[in-house]
Amino acid sequence: MGRYVVRRLLQMIPVFVGATLLIFLMVNVMGDPIAGLCGERQCDPSTAAQLEKEFGLDKPVWQQYLTYMGNVFTGDFGTAFNGQEVTELMATAFPVTIRLTIVAILFEIVIGITLGVITGLRRGRPVDTSVLMFTLVVISVPTFVTGLLLQLLLGVEWGWIKPSVSAEATFGELIVPGLVLASVSLAYVTRLTRTSIAENKRSDYVRTAVAKGLPRRRVITRHLLRNSLIPVVTFIGTDIGALMGGAIVTERIFNIHGVGYQLYQGILRQNTQTVVGFVTVLVLVFLVANLIVDLLYAVLDPRIRYA
Amino acid sequence: MLLEVRDLHVEFRTRDGVARAVNGVNYGVDAGETLAVLGESGSGKSVTAQAIMGILDIPPGRITGGEILFQGRDLLKLKEEERRKVRGAEMAMIFQDALSSLNPVLSVGDQLGEMFVVHRGMSKKDARARAVELMDRVRIPGAGARVRDYPHQFSGGMRQRIMIAMALALEPALIIADEPTTALDVTVQAQVMDLLAELQREYHMGLILITHDLGVVADVADRIVVMYAGRIVESAPVHDIYKAPAHPYTRGLLDSIPRLDQKGQELYAIKGLPPNLMHIPPGCAFNPRCPMARDVCRTDEPPLYEVSDDRGSACHFWTECLHG
Amino acid sequence: MPEPLPQEPYTSGGGRAPEDGAIAATGMGGAMDLATSEGETLEKRPGGPDGTGPWDRPRSLWSDAWRDLRRNPVFIISGLVILFLVVISIWPSLIASGSPLRCDLAKAQEGSQPGAPFGYDGQGCNVYTRTVYGARTSVTVGVCATLGVSLLGSVLGGLAGFFGGLSDSFLSRITDVFFAIPVVLGGLVLLSVVTSNTVWPVIGFMVLLGWPQISRIARGSVITAKQNDYVQAARALGASNSRILLRHIMPNAIAPVIVVATIALGTYIALEATLSYLGVGLKPPTVSWGIDISAASSYIRNAPHMLLWPAGALALTVLAFIMLGDAVRDALDPKLR
Repeated sequence: MGRYVVRRLLQMIPVFVGATLLIFLMVNVMGDPIAGLCGERQCDPSTAAQLEKEFGLDKPVWQQYLTYMGNVFTGDFGTAFNGQEVTELMATAFPVTIRLTIVAILFEIVIGITLGVITGLRRGRPVDTSVLMFTLVVISVPTFVTGLLLQLLLGVEWGWIKPSVSAEATFGELIVPGLVLASVSLAYVTRLTRTSIAENKRSDYVRTAVAKGLPRRRVITRHLLRNSLIPVVTFIGTDIGALMGGAIVTERIFNIHGVGYQLYQGILRQNTQTVVGFVTVLVLVFLVANLIVDLLYAVLDPRIRYA
Repeated sequence: MLLEVRDLHVEFRTRDGVARAVNGVNYGVDAGETLAVLGESGSGKSVTAQAIMGILDIPPGRITGGEILFQGRDLLKLKEEERRKVRGAEMAMIFQDALSSLNPVLSVGDQLGEMFVVHRGMSKKDARARAVELMDRVRIPGAGARVRDYPHQFSGGMRQRIMIAMALALEPALIIADEPTTALDVTVQAQVMDLLAELQREYHMGLILITHDLGVVADVADRIVVMYAGRIVESAPVHDIYKAPAHPYTRGLLDSIPRLDQKGQELYAIKGLPPNLMHIPPGCAFNPRCPMARDVCRTDEPPLYEVSDDRGSACHFWTECLHG
Repeated sequence: MPEPLPQEPYTSGGGRAPEDGAIAATGMGGAMDLATSEGETLEKRPGGPDGTGPWDRPRSLWSDAWRDLRRNPVFIISGLVILFLVVISIWPSLIASGSPLRCDLAKAQEGSQPGAPFGYDGQGCNVYTRTVYGARTSVTVGVCATLGVSLLGSVLGGLAGFFGGLSDSFLSRITDVFFAIPVVLGGLVLLSVVTSNTVWPVIGFMVLLGWPQISRIARGSVITAKQNDYVQAARALGASNSRILLRHIMPNAIAPVIVVATIALGTYIALEATLSYLGVGLKPPTVSWGIDISAASSYIRNAPHMLLWPAGALALTVLAFIMLGDAVRDALDPKLR
């Protein structure tokens, strides 16, 4: 197990370097990193040259990348457009997005798994067909449309929620945005659980469990669910990173000042430091979530643990 | 009779039509007796066993007729909860592929102990102790240490022993073994089969041994039932059948066993394929493949003719077959 | 016979071995994940003409699938919707007169009326005409991106799976890198610097970030197909690599790619709209549902019709492609029979 963790950690390194380098290149080579520094107007050439020197932009890109990463690992993510430290922005933005992600994950677990189990056990019945159709619709309607529609209905027409979230972004305010963020994954969790349950239901070991004379309830909870939920749990785990990265659309609709909002501002104002910093952290979150999922997999499935 | 199956009919309704898997099967087994059920895949031998155990997939499966008398009670008339209490406790089943039939994420100790927890209401600790005893009983070396291991950590033969231990746990009156050795290496097959036969004698259980391997049958079975297309085509004491089969299909099966004294000769094979269960041929189901088939075989379905007191054959020309 | 590669012990649909993908196939975020993981169920199907029930005579996977599809109402309906979309993408004037760019500010935000059944938008453009013309953009983006992604992905993934070794590990790590970048974020970063107002940068971006998804599927199914006995037999008989790939592996490995690509097509259309909504996808004067929805979202209180029509068209289009992919997957997956 220990060696397994170490090997996983080692495998993470090239992916981390690759992904951050890719983003770094996109921002620095394709964009104009100093364009945002002079505010609204064009930088004059001498200021530009001075700024380039100051930020080390006259050096080769790989050197810039190394310097940047060196700084990142000492906790220095640079400064944002308004002179604020990027780390300060992160300190206010991440808690909001993390709360939003938690709400979304809870929806996936509670609604997604429940619906999946029900439909998987009643495959082919009306309830199955209708839930399945509903998941297809949810998957087909892009998140921003779902978000706008819910905002229109619940926020504007019926007045159940405030159409935009306050700066505090409490859990209560984040329920609907969290549902929107979760929607596609939720439908997917339902389908994955359903497939997994339906498939395992016909497996030999479930037949054995029935032949042993176990009550139906025990067959389902102890034998069927235990096996069927392994892929679901791993999916939800890997989804954490994807949700945080995908929160940008939801946050824009409900005006939530989280990671997506800051990133969006950073991109609009061409602020390299903010963009690269936030994306680096998101990539890291994604990788760590994946690592945890792999370990979780080993805990849940002895065939991996002892392989 | 410990178990008696009477005129059992099972069909499967699929999108492509109705497959008639079992069409009027009759057989019985006594305590301490071993009944071998022989047939190709699709002959209905496993479906009959699943119907007896009450583990048929319903739907698409459906029992359309017949009785299953177990210790005098018709199992088909029991409520599901009563039926469940019979399963595992009074009759148990051993499956072919132990690797897929054991739950991969539970330790073998948990899976064995579960029998005692559910049916006998034992504590987990006592159940664990009984699990170790059982593993000892089926001669798994180091049972005390291995009780915490998972199925994939055992060899094929050891896994099948665990399946046997699980079936024996509550000392049922009847065991159904569905191809218990087919998935094993030849060298291990004999060991597992011997163990099963030995335990059966010891506990004086009835054993239904489902197989397509005539070699296994000769050593352990008392009686043989040969099935084809969901019907019994021959039923006889084991020695009679080996001496002189009374059905051309049985003869074909026997002839297709490779024998040392026929080295160099071409191996016999029954021509053709087993019938499609959605379109079973009229008359005798075996007629398209039968070397002796005549016109009557294509029109009249043969009943199970009485060959002697304890022997039957569903062939219009069983006398010819028996003596020729 | 060479040692067969170790088979995954999992039977469950979305199960994946940590061994296989250091990084899960879910980094793309949002709907794009669906296709990947759904494809994985196919990936583990041992390819070959053995998808027959115990009582059936052998039939080929494809003719079987086609027979199934023709009877499947989901396939027929989604197929008809897609056919309709393709037709109006090519000849939008068939059902909409006038230009989507001719707008009259005087009519801004007006509701349904003769000649404009969906009303007018904030700029006084005819919402019906714009919705009809928007189909062309979405279908173009979806089809081109899918073709690009499928070609690049299956060639790279297929070759890596077939030859294995160093090139395979290298490709796997590259795919991991791409999966680690959230797709909407990548789009924001990359497309925010593009000034062109054609559809090509958006398509190019989708190909760039989308190919690893297909390459992973293609790699997996090629590896599965490669282990089939008849492929081993062909190899033993001295067939050349190119012959084995084209004659024996391709026909069997292509099914999962087709399924995932069909579903992905729908998600690309959704992604284009999402990027356009965020203001980095397509830019006016290109007519796009995403742009219209984005513009309409600021009038959502007064004139929701401006939002509902393009949003409905978008959802219906994505739904049609995902349903088609779903039906094709069911038909090609013998396990579900």
